[in-house]
Amino acid sequence: MEFTILFLATAIVMLVAWRGSRLLALGLFGAVLIACVATYLHHATDTLKLSF
Amino acid sequence: MTQARAITLNALSLYAVALVLMAAFAAQFILNELPCPLCLLQRILFAALAIGPILNIRFGPRPSHYAMSLLAAVAGAVASTRQVLLHILPGDAGYGSALLGYHYYTWALIGFIAAIILIATVMLFDRQFEDDGAVLPPTGGPLAQIAVWLVIALTAANVVTTLLECGFGACADNPVVYEMLK
Repeated sequence: MEFTILFLATAIVMLVAWRGSRLLALGLFGAVLIACVATYLHHATDTLKLSF
Repeated sequence: MTQARAITLNALSLYAVALVLMAAFAAQFILNELPCPLCLLQRILFAALAIGPILNIRFGPRPSHYAMSLLAAVAGAVASTRQVLLHILPGDAGYGSALLGYHYYTWALIGFIAAIILIATVMLFDRQFEDDGAVLPPTGGPLAQIAVWLVIALTAANVVTTLLECGFGACADNPVVYEMLK
């Protein structure tokens, strides 16, 4: 569900960037990027099997 | 580089993002390979790459618009690097099929790194940030307008396909069926 919301939010930011205010688009973009990072951290739980 | 040339380049970059999103759809529907959660995140970050160029076309090129795309590209590179590392051990077949010897997440990593290099290179041309007095076509002209709407339409299509795939719950780690079509 979170990915559907992120796609929807990205599409909305695109529409705001194209038709709305620049500052609003910048702010919404920041919010989407933070949400993407949070989603990444939520899913990146498997330990990487690496040896150096 | 003049403002007009920079806007044309930004429109072309939107076609590149559209091509990536269409290639992802091709793998999903022709090969019937459903994207995993990390794959979806990489798609979202490819779509987020397009927001900077859209702002550049509408408001004129600005360093802050390029910076937005750079941030999205770095986040995308981190996500795709993690997926590469998850499947890096010998004997690991990787996730999904390979295209020209590389899996899609490896291509995504190459794409995000290429985006970082290209954006940084374009930002070297300072003249695009000065008002050169040229009369620019409203909202970038037809080439740019088609590019913007194409990227928006593809992102909106991803809203629908992701909802069909994941439903209203959490997406499966290795999805094989569309949750909403079961």
